[in-house]
Amino acid sequence: MLDHIREVLFTESEIEEKVKLLGAAISQDYREKELLLVNVLKGGVIFLADLIRQITIPVVIDFMAISSYGPSTEEFGIVRLVKDLEESVSGKDVLVVEDIIDTGLTLTYLLRNLESRDPGSLRVCTLMDKSVRRIVDIPIYYKGFDVPDVFVVGYGLDYEQKYRNLPFIGVLKKEIYYPEE
Amino acid sequence: MVDSSEKENSADSNSSVIERINFAHPSEKQCAQILDFYGIKWEYEPKSFPVEWDKRGSVLQSFTPDFYLPEFNLFIELTTMSQKLVTKKNRKIRRLRELYPDINIKIFYQRDFRYLLLKFGLHKMQHN
Repeated sequence: MLDHIREVLFTESEIEEKVKLLGAAISQDYREKELLLVNVLKGGVIFLADLIRQITIPVVIDFMAISSYGPSTEEFGIVRLVKDLEESVSGKDVLVVEDIIDTGLTLTYLLRNLESRDPGSLRVCTLMDKSVRRIVDIPIYYKGFDVPDVFVVGYGLDYEQKYRNLPFIGVLKKEIYYPEE
Repeated sequence: MVDSSEKENSADSNSSVIERINFAHPSEKQCAQILDFYGIKWEYEPKSFPVEWDKRGSVLQSFTPDFYLPEFNLFIELTTMSQKLVTKKNRKIRRLRELYPDINIKIFYQRDFRYLLLKFGLHKMQHN
């Protein structure tokens, strides 16, 4: 698996440091509030697991999953919630935790969905921001790393469901996804 | 011009709007489908911007962005030709930005569209 990685973009220790900083900022900003962390499966799950252990205030976590556009999408399909929250968000301070934001399309859908449930507040925390690929702009309140225009895997991020278990974030070799070039 | 908000957000109505449009390139149809999938409203080629006039003030050249996303006040231009061939289009877009500085426009080049296909796992289908 390691030989599929062109270079390590963020090491384990760099990620750890960044997650500590994010956890401290969130703990400070949400002290004396009822914080609900909403995680988007599957990519963000490892980031969430580390982040909550750096947050020093009580938090509730919940998960959402939505269908992704892809080869199996019907020609004129529309996004649907594959897994909905179990917690009510009404009146709560909600922080959406994402692994990476690129086009902003998925998050736009999720934020609209959550806004319709009348949360007390709604913010976004992402470990990585690949703004060069943004189609629709999204306000990001907490951001770990800016990511250049490369295909990253590891620390929860996948290519064809693989590489999520890498402890670092690496750049996937092009020949893995474009083998014929 | 066709407006995606003419429909309710359902697969059936999406198909009828998209099928009515004579997209200039298959990538534009795919872009419309992706926007529909995520519930982003779009309009196809809703507006042309004159970018060159003759001495009498008649329009010689216009630029018509492919999509307008009204919720984001954003125009999108897809250009899937190879990077070597986009110089002329880039010149036109530069002129557009000079003449209409308030316009919010994003250009999607071939490499950007390839990334979208990769992100959505469609890149292998494209090669086949």
